[in-house]
Amino acid sequence: MTIFTCAPGWEAMLTCIYEASESKLGHKNIRLLLEPLGQQSFLDEYIHVEPDEVKAEKVATSIIRGISYHFYQELAYTAMAYEEDVLDNIYHVLLLGFRFGENALKMVQYRDIIRNREIRARVVREAERFREILRFHQLGNLYVAHFEPKSRVASYLGPIFQDRMPSENFMIVDDVHREAVVHRKNEPYYMWQINDREFARLAQTEEENDEYTDLWKAFFDSIAIRERANEKCQMSHFPLWARKHAVEFTIDERG
Amino acid sequence: MYDLSANDSLKEKLTILSDAAKYDVACTSSGVSRGGKEGFLGNSVAAGVCHAFSADGRCISLLKILMTNHCIYDCKYCKNRVSNDVERALFTPEEICTLTIEFYKRNYIEGLFLSSGVYRNPDYTMEKICETLRLLRTKYKFNGYIHVKAIPGASEELLYSAGLLADRISINMELPTEQSLSKLAPNKTMKNIIEPMNRISGTIAGHRVAIGKSARMERCGINKHLVNSIFGPEAGRIEGSSDQPFLYPAERNDALLRRPFAPAGQSTQMIIGASNETDLELIRTTQALYQSFDLKRVFYSAYIPINDDDILPGKDTPVPLLREHRLYQADWLLRYYGFGAEEILTKDNPFLDYRVDPKCFWALNHLDIFPVEINRAPVEMLLRVPGIGPTSVKRIISARRYGNVNFEMLKRMHVVLKRAQFFITCNGKMLNRTPIEQRFIMGQLTDLEHREVYQIEDSLNTGRQMSLFSDCNLEMA
Repeated sequence: MTIFTCAPGWEAMLTCIYEASESKLGHKNIRLLLEPLGQQSFLDEYIHVEPDEVKAEKVATSIIRGISYHFYQELAYTAMAYEEDVLDNIYHVLLLGFRFGENALKMVQYRDIIRNREIRARVVREAERFREILRFHQLGNLYVAHFEPKSRVASYLGPIFQDRMPSENFMIVDDVHREAVVHRKNEPYYMWQINDREFARLAQTEEENDEYTDLWKAFFDSIAIRERANEKCQMSHFPLWARKHAVEFTIDERG
Repeated sequence: MYDLSANDSLKEKLTILSDAAKYDVACTSSGVSRGGKEGFLGNSVAAGVCHAFSADGRCISLLKILMTNHCIYDCKYCKNRVSNDVERALFTPEEICTLTIEFYKRNYIEGLFLSSGVYRNPDYTMEKICETLRLLRTKYKFNGYIHVKAIPGASEELLYSAGLLADRISINMELPTEQSLSKLAPNKTMKNIIEPMNRISGTIAGHRVAIGKSARMERCGINKHLVNSIFGPEAGRIEGSSDQPFLYPAERNDALLRRPFAPAGQSTQMIIGASNETDLELIRTTQALYQSFDLKRVFYSAYIPINDDDILPGKDTPVPLLREHRLYQADWLLRYYGFGAEEILTKDNPFLDYRVDPKCFWALNHLDIFPVEINRAPVEMLLRVPGIGPTSVKRIISARRYGNVNFEMLKRMHVVLKRAQFFITCNGKMLNRTPIEQRFIMGQLTDLEHREVYQIEDSLNTGRQMSLFSDCNLEMA
């Protein structure tokens, strides 16, 4: 079997899809994987694909013209996921898309479609969770939020928070994938890749707590009804891994 | 009585007034979709956004506070009643605005929930509330979600202003019958609650028609496919008794804001367990409220014994959480599943079964129409199968267009097969060879629900040593 691999990123993924289908090896004889690779098999041939703007553009255009823009968008959502088989899944869904058109996404009779829906639902759930639990810290007239997602959901959050606070300066920093949404007052947001120096400086922003953080903690404590205490329910809605940057759960070291 | 003066810290006030507001159940930010605007702060999402979950597992979506917990009324069940000796505090409009804005910018909340004790008189209180909201909408340019409580007995101009400034307006019904209301809330009357509710619903309908929408609020899309739904065309609107269903115009400044009147509709809440209503009465009242006043939600609040009073349940009474849970399940059946109140409960059997959920209970009593064939059954029939909800129905219907549906696909569609398996067939076959027999299925289902029931009851710490004589019917002669 021949395995095409590429770095994470939408452009690289589209290029990889281009190279895989141009290889004409037969769909059953190829797999597509995202780097970094785990255990490699000596029976398979691995081909690394570098991102290429022209080839990626070709694939994107043919999806949008040949199937639909909606289909393209749905695949782009799937591509944010961290799952191992996500690229391979996108490739197979694309084949079904070219065969049946946009409705292919509803044909749950195909395993690839079901898998695609699972991945997409999980990504959207994760992104929606961060829409809820992101916590901003005030630095002068700038608001900074840090978060640690499993999938690359920062680009999903960009438009949401731009709509929520159109006239504020804010930054949403993805500490895992080192990317950030940067929004200036009354301007459209943009994505930014963070280098090490910037990352070290941004990491300090979370230490800034003001009186409103304290007020929020006081509110958070007093709003709970003691007679109905239900830690299990709280845990299932707000699991421990999600509490890392939630200020109401951090213990104040200043006492 | 200990009274906080205006100089006391914001933190103390917030602690007192959020603590006083926590017994109000509604904390939803749903019902209206509104994009952000340049120069303003905030937007609104129709599905609602929960921002945190407190130690009791309930979601925190709005900054839920009272403007003041000073109150001239003496409702027996309430913590803030005038005869209670509790810490009292009063927020200024500016304080409420800064708290809302600063919390909102940090993504702690989705908006404001503002209620209040009756300070001096209903009109004065409502005027203060309106002043706060006006400040928030104009000076602070807040475009997020606001849920405001209408004070029963406040004048109509003020209610109209409040509706224009807020997204959802609600009046708490608290108790479903006139008798229990006069017993437990001597200062309130049913007329004082029902009349403004009717006026508000009329005004909402009028505003909706004026901008080209239907008079009635939007409901879950699945209701369009259900013939017997309580929101269906045949159900019709039960008109209120008032001759003049519209509220009078508000202050000119509020009308100039050009906001729709309460676009997220109105809601109410009822207390469970403080008086002796049956579940049937509660569910019937709920349905009547949905049909006559087009309420978006009816909330239930399990009574927590905080006051010592002869006519209230004693202080050691457990909180009826399971009853509240079952009532919410029944409420969902009304709004999403096309059930009517009379189908869920009957006069001979006026309480919901605590062992299984109301939908399972209904199915067990109507075994003659089961099993249902997944590949051919109509929408309303699929919705009545325990373990299948509106989302699964949508998935099944869209998958049926392209081929046969089997059990493996149902599993992947997140149909709860452990419940549904007793009631369905796929291509003529059931999942396992199970008899369609009431006793058998009841046994299986109570086994499944046992854990849930135990979890809810266990959280109340009502565990006790079993007694050989009373629990095992071995009473000595």
